[in-house]
Amino acid sequence: MLVQLAFRNIWRNRRRTLLTLSALVISSSLLILSLGIFSGMMEDMLISATEQYYGHILLSSPGYQDDRDIYLNLPEDPALLKRLATQPHVQGISARLRSFGLLATGVKSYPVEMLGVEPTAESSVTHFSEKLVAGRFLHNDSAREVVIGSGLAAKLNVQPGEELVFVGQAADGSIANDLLQVAGVFNTGDSSHDNGLVITGLKWLQDILVLPGRIHEISLRIDQALLAPTIASTLPHMTSDGDPLEIFDWGKLLPEMQEAIASYDVSRVILACILYAAAGLGVLNTFFMSVLERTHEFGVLRAIGLRKRQLWQLLLLETLLLGLTALALGLLLGLFMTYLMCRFGWDLSSHMTAITYAGGTILPRLRAVFDLANFTVPAFFLLIICLAAGLLPARRASRLSPMDAIRNE
Amino acid sequence: MRKPFFLAGLLPVLVTLFITPALALDLAALIRDVEIQYTGRSSHAIVSMQVSTEHWQRTMEMESWSLGRDYFITRITEPAKDRGVATLKRDKDVWNYLPKVDRVVKVPASLMGGSWMGSHITNDDLVKGSQVDKDYTFQLLHEDEGIYRIEGIPRPEAAVVWGRIVYTLDRARRVPLRVDYFDEDGVKVRELVFSEVQQVGDRLIPLTMTVQPTDKPDEKTVVRYRDITFDISLQDDFFSLRNLKKR
Repeated sequence: MLVQLAFRNIWRNRRRTLLTLSALVISSSLLILSLGIFSGMMEDMLISATEQYYGHILLSSPGYQDDRDIYLNLPEDPALLKRLATQPHVQGISARLRSFGLLATGVKSYPVEMLGVEPTAESSVTHFSEKLVAGRFLHNDSAREVVIGSGLAAKLNVQPGEELVFVGQAADGSIANDLLQVAGVFNTGDSSHDNGLVITGLKWLQDILVLPGRIHEISLRIDQALLAPTIASTLPHMTSDGDPLEIFDWGKLLPEMQEAIASYDVSRVILACILYAAAGLGVLNTFFMSVLERTHEFGVLRAIGLRKRQLWQLLLLETLLLGLTALALGLLLGLFMTYLMCRFGWDLSSHMTAITYAGGTILPRLRAVFDLANFTVPAFFLLIICLAAGLLPARRASRLSPMDAIRNE
Repeated sequence: MRKPFFLAGLLPVLVTLFITPALALDLAALIRDVEIQYTGRSSHAIVSMQVSTEHWQRTMEMESWSLGRDYFITRITEPAKDRGVATLKRDKDVWNYLPKVDRVVKVPASLMGGSWMGSHITNDDLVKGSQVDKDYTFQLLHEDEGIYRIEGIPRPEAAVVWGRIVYTLDRARRVPLRVDYFDEDGVKVRELVFSEVQQVGDRLIPLTMTVQPTDKPDEKTVVRYRDITFDISLQDDFFSLRNLKKR
């Protein structure tokens, strides 16, 4: 009975209700859209931070990632790779060997990080092959070829097809040196990689470092980056020979990135509060007006036996009904707008360039992604706001004495 | 890669040889005198370097030439894998020649502190070691009938690696016994120990130098000067990039 009453009440002043409703619908749908776009930016950053270098999960010898000691290596372990490939969520696997040395041409020489990879496997984890600005990616893992960052290419003044000298130290103490050809040049937008990272063939690097059949790390790509810690905990902790493995998810490798994402969860709530504060005041205003107008009516209701508590409930029900209606429409509109931004996006590259922040790169585009929390948080706060805005008028109405109220015209 | 080693080894020896007679006077002036006395001095040596690390041990044979304090060439003759790898030091620059790829690579400033040929000697040892008396001020720490102990503190403006260097010299024979290197926080980083003092020409020099990093007690580099000759006839154009490539 109360619900029916409440429903009729809110539609008694149709224009006022529609205005309030539209304020709620627009603010909640815009909030959903902007959160979707924020999530899109975060995802771009996360993708650039993980899929441009580390991958989502790294397995290596205990301690290797701390100081990258060339001797903390692992056997190439086909059985382990096979086992990892069958794990749920794992989409790509790349075994890598790393060395630090000198890349030189003529009189110029720069310290570099050499990352030895099997090209196809690496492309299943990271996206260097899609970031090429000149030349091509590696063809195989034993040719004396490198793909270098654009900054390094500019400093060394080399183009694809030209020669470079690599000098480093092999694991047996001898001098590792060889002549290499530049196959391609990549540009990731991350200046530290563009200026000092060199991708080369795993077999060639193993030969030159005198580390046959050894690798430093196994990098994994998984289907849901945000689930990396959970998935990492389910992976095997030992090689087939029983050597221990240390497993890192991207959050441990890129703590700043993890903080950026954690702070996003907080800013999502703050944004919801700010946008809803205005809408909430609108609701509050609507209900105070409606309560003041209906003082006489409340007096009659009380006189014919409606209890204080029931009156209070009636008014809260009215706001709740308004909130739920707004919620349904807002969610629909928000979903639709997010879908449009998801599908088509908005290219801003003519207005701005990529920004690197917390190890990730924000691309010059607006694009939304679907994230459940981007709908539940606005929905939850919308209901809270409506109920809070209804509380004061409801209290006022329920405290009126019936006699006074009836006299009020 | 680095190769500053031989000069670094020779220098303290030479410095101490010339300093000691006048220690009671002005150490800085004495060191300047030493520097002047050595200008134009040349040497040729056959050297073996044994490097022991946690993971490997290897011995290299080398032939080296030096002229004054500014020029230095060394070429590896053994083992076969590294044969022909050569290092040239001219003033403050260090180049390596790599016969496998027939290229000369200059050591960039950022890698001057790195290990030379996998040893416990750095490129900086060669470059900075040759001007210790310019970059440091000296004072006598200790003196008894057996030894002198001299402390070198870097001049404020000097771009040096060490915070403090302590030389211990044999007073009677005027040869160094050991050199201890401390970082800027005063923590000992490594030590050089000299042994096998022998008469070469008209002077006494220790033929063996052991470099011991303090944080890795199991590791060391031992350099032995097997055959050393001073005052040979060399011109500075011998120390050229062109000559570095010659085998």
